[in-house]
Amino acid sequence: MSERRDARSDIAEMEGAASLPRKSGEMVFHNDWERRAFAIAVSLAEQGIFDWGEFQQRLIESVAEAQRDDPQNPSRGYYESWLAALERLLEENRLLGEAIDAPDGAHPQRADVV
Amino acid sequence: MSDHHHDSPPSPHHTSYRTRERNKELTQRVERIEALLVAKGLVAKDALDRLVDIYENDLGPMNGAKVVARAWVDADFKRRLLDNATAAIAELGFGGLQGEHMVVVENTPQVHNVVVCTLCSCYPWPVLGLPPTWYKDAAYRSRVVIDPRSVLAEFGTMLDDDVEVRVWDSSAEVRYLVLPERPANTEHLTERELAELIDRDAMIGVARVSAP
Repeated sequence: MSERRDARSDIAEMEGAASLPRKSGEMVFHNDWERRAFAIAVSLAEQGIFDWGEFQQRLIESVAEAQRDDPQNPSRGYYESWLAALERLLEENRLLGEAIDAPDGAHPQRADVV
Repeated sequence: MSDHHHDSPPSPHHTSYRTRERNKELTQRVERIEALLVAKGLVAKDALDRLVDIYENDLGPMNGAKVVARAWVDADFKRRLLDNATAAIAELGFGGLQGEHMVVVENTPQVHNVVVCTLCSCYPWPVLGLPPTWYKDAAYRSRVVIDPRSVLAEFGTMLDDDVEVRVWDSSAEVRYLVLPERPANTEHLTERELAELIDRDAMIGVARVSAP
């Protein structure tokens, strides 16, 4: 129980570019896939399947990648970076049993944002 | 990731710009991962639903409300809370701050406390959840220090001139929680019923708790 609480604290306490999008104290999800992607990463971390710190590190990198060209106008949304980070970590840890062929966001599509 | 940090990233989500095709593609990517992980027994669909529910709905001010209600009905707990808030709050099972101390400040008929983080948005999330947007606004952060009475009035909290206002500046080291005054005529309420009266704004100190 306390381990679970600690994982929650790490997640809620994320700061800087990795901090969770929120509005009036509530988390903000725009699409169901964002909820699912969020929950998958949290569930795996809470079960100890991967370390939250490892995921957070990839999330920070992923968000930074999206902000590289223009920090004020990231090339993709927060949860797209979240998903890219999740895919990368799953791949590195060979947790999917097959390679992910989806674009990993290294070359984000400018068309996604105006 | 320590010290002071500004925790509102620029434009954290660009959903409004996302095309329907892009969303469909993202949905499929997530569905594929979920299906593979479910097949491997690493995640369960109902566990994922539950997690979303917890983060969207439960991780929030309800914990702080339980702390306040306990302090209202249990004088010994209140003493411990004012003496060492981190430890007293941990008695109720809430914690997880990473080295920061919790300090609880008590409102009385003579003193009204209000919390701010002038540098960024330090906030006692284990008891209050994620901070409201206005808490991070430059306007609130600067004005509540300079002219707390006007800011409180904008929140609908009018203070008599003889009430002293104390503004507490949170930091990476110390997180404050306001212990609001228990409203009159609530003697008949249970601890649980009291907890339902207490909202986030009262524990930041911009509002009072009203009787039902």
